[in-house]
Amino acid sequence: MRRHSMILRAVALVASLTLVSAGASAQDKVIAIKGGTVLPISGPAIPNGTVIIRGGKIAAVGAGVAIPAGAEVVDAKGKWVMPGVIDAASQIGIEATDQNEASDPITPGLRAYESYNPYGTFGAGKPAPLRNKELLGGGVTTMYLSPADATVIGGQGFIVKNAGNDFDSMIVNASAAMDMTLGTPPKTAARARNRDPYTRMAEVALIRQALIKAQEYQRNKASNPTLPRDLGNEALVRVLTKEIPARIQANNATDIRSALRLGTEFNIDVIIDGGAMAWEFRDELAKRHIPVILGQQSHQYVSNEEIPDRQDYPPVDERLAGRLTALGIPTAIASFARAFGALAPAGSGKWLLVDAGIAAGYGMSEEDVLRAVTLVPATILGIANRVGSLEVGKDADVIILDGPPLSVKSWVQRAYVNGELVHQR
Amino acid sequence: MPSARLFVALTLLSAPTVLVAQSEAIVIRGATIHTASGAPIRNGSILIEGGKISAIGTSVRTPAGARVIDANGKDVIPGMIDNHSHIGAKPSDLNDSPVVVGPQHRFLDALDLNDPDFKDAVSGGVTTVVTGPGSGENVSGMAIVIKTFGDTLATRMLLEKGGMKFAMGAKSRERYPTTTMGVAANLRQYLIKTQEYMAAGKKWVDDGSKGNPPARDLGYEAMTDVLTHKTYVRAHVHSATDIMTLLRLKDEFGFDLTLHHSTEAYKVAPEIAKRGVSAVVLPLGPRIGVTDDAMGGPAILWKAGVKIAMHTDHPVINQKWLRLCASLAMRYGIPEEEALKMVTLNAAQIARVGDRVGSLDVGKDADLVIFDGAWYEPRSRVELVVGNGKVIYDRAKEGN
Repeated sequence: MRRHSMILRAVALVASLTLVSAGASAQDKVIAIKGGTVLPISGPAIPNGTVIIRGGKIAAVGAGVAIPAGAEVVDAKGKWVMPGVIDAASQIGIEATDQNEASDPITPGLRAYESYNPYGTFGAGKPAPLRNKELLGGGVTTMYLSPADATVIGGQGFIVKNAGNDFDSMIVNASAAMDMTLGTPPKTAARARNRDPYTRMAEVALIRQALIKAQEYQRNKASNPTLPRDLGNEALVRVLTKEIPARIQANNATDIRSALRLGTEFNIDVIIDGGAMAWEFRDELAKRHIPVILGQQSHQYVSNEEIPDRQDYPPVDERLAGRLTALGIPTAIASFARAFGALAPAGSGKWLLVDAGIAAGYGMSEEDVLRAVTLVPATILGIANRVGSLEVGKDADVIILDGPPLSVKSWVQRAYVNGELVHQR
Repeated sequence: MPSARLFVALTLLSAPTVLVAQSEAIVIRGATIHTASGAPIRNGSILIEGGKISAIGTSVRTPAGARVIDANGKDVIPGMIDNHSHIGAKPSDLNDSPVVVGPQHRFLDALDLNDPDFKDAVSGGVTTVVTGPGSGENVSGMAIVIKTFGDTLATRMLLEKGGMKFAMGAKSRERYPTTTMGVAANLRQYLIKTQEYMAAGKKWVDDGSKGNPPARDLGYEAMTDVLTHKTYVRAHVHSATDIMTLLRLKDEFGFDLTLHHSTEAYKVAPEIAKRGVSAVVLPLGPRIGVTDDAMGGPAILWKAGVKIAMHTDHPVINQKWLRLCASLAMRYGIPEEEALKMVTLNAAQIARVGDRVGSLDVGKDADLVIFDGAWYEPRSRVELVVGNGKVIYDRAKEGN
């Protein structure tokens, strides 16, 4: 992951200093989780397996692994041990009123993490390490969070862990992708404000014009470095140089086709978000190895409207995840959880495993379902070097469940993030 | 309507070849039967004749010519009942917003029986639904209880006066009422006017029904059905404060009340229980989610003795995933058989159709669902759905 901006470097520096000063014991701490059914995801299940955590990283995984002297031993007999779940699309922690900068359809300069609130309800709670308890209870340890869908180019999404000792230490990547939306939501929001885009034609035209302007900005800036900086164009240049991908929310066939065309025209990396009708484009998706992040298996993708216009929201085909995966198309299952007015925070992300389990009834192997909420999203998000499987050297983000991971009755008994026990039931 | 058995006999005389397709007896064997009214029956069988359940137990007779379905190792549950949904009408037909109190509105008048969502609901094992107006007004109209399958309204209708929809929190910036106080006062005023309307009608009758009767008003007439217990109030409500307002209105006007969505009902569970009010809970299930505290609410209500049911609020949650709403209730502390009741018998009783549907008992409509695994697990599939004694969904024929 390339990180160019000064701010990001500062974030990384602060994070590492914190680790050095406060984390000396965590650095040395050794934990042995033994006797459980270990699902490393990167390989076959290991009955009666052991996972060794050292200094916040995975140090060993296997059957018959020797337990180091002095290790804290966690008995996982009769339990399941797997990497923390990764939700590749969510908006939890971003309040309903902060999801959309709907005053303008093109806002690439915005960073969603400025709206992120891991501190809980306003005026309630005491200073404490940041723990998203409900998500950890569902096994979710890492998420991609983004602006919502009322704008055509909404801004930059970010990747965060669900536990940290402070805000900075939760952040995995503060600017991970450029979030875009095609289809009904931006049109609806625009009509309510009597501004463009009223149509799909205008949505695509707005994106093309913005990317063309960014190409010109890039060219002009190269020849004249003293040109005034423009945040939006700077961010879009990172898309043009493939430093970050464009995540384009596209559900129906028209929108997916437009997203694929934009990718070709501007030679940018595209990820399809939603992708309800992706099956129609399976050949191109497979050939170009374009990832698809599918929404909830139990429900069609819908926007913030309580009663959606069904014509514009293709129904879920529960077979889709398995079928795309079988073709080698990187396919993640995500929650697309978002706050529902003042009534509910984006809570459904905690049921990602429960929801993904549906796909296992529709021809997708259990292994593939679990991969679709761990290693596949990690790879799509560009963080597979750190998370997504139980492999030596990766972050020790480990969950212990009291039953099979895809059962609605199973609960996460323990969750570790960076080797630290951050949740217990 | 002639009884189903009589219908069978008549059909037999006139068109024996049609009979086989329409009303063949079905025997389901070897299943774990979750009846919703009693303990599960292991290795149980069900006999279906004339659209009704005619026998159930560990051994039932097999009539000659009956279709035998081997359900060995499978789960059978009653056809599920979604106690609160908006299936069968266009979203734009759900809320008549300019009329803040509109009890005269009937969902029936917006119903489209050909809504493709019904077929989807059947594929998920949902055979009966309460479907009604939205929640954009203080009183938005009369719901209906219908089956999700069948060709004519007459065969699908279970209850035409299926409950009067109230909505707490239907406030607006543009018109009265804009506050919770306003909503409460608005409802009280209308109920008082209904009482006066009823009194005027009674007086005219008491005076010998002379001259023209008092002018009819459809709204007061419909609300009269509420105050005379011919129907009941289905109240959209989330906050504990608004629930207490509803309970006070019930105390004052004596109508039958059920709470819907009921997000914070668990905070006032004893108050609800002591009035015998039922609660339809967890609107926000798998799509939207609520906090773990609120998810634990149904278990608190159940322990307090409140009858509870689950709902999808379709299209908010796709109706075919009603069972997943019950699964989530189970995840948060409701025992399996109680969770099942929340989408079957309790839902039927709260909807006032418990004599016809909601459990697998002799004499009830033969609506049931066969699963290839535990009914509550997300990965389990609906294999077969029987409605009024006929197979209305067969996964083997769907090719998925």
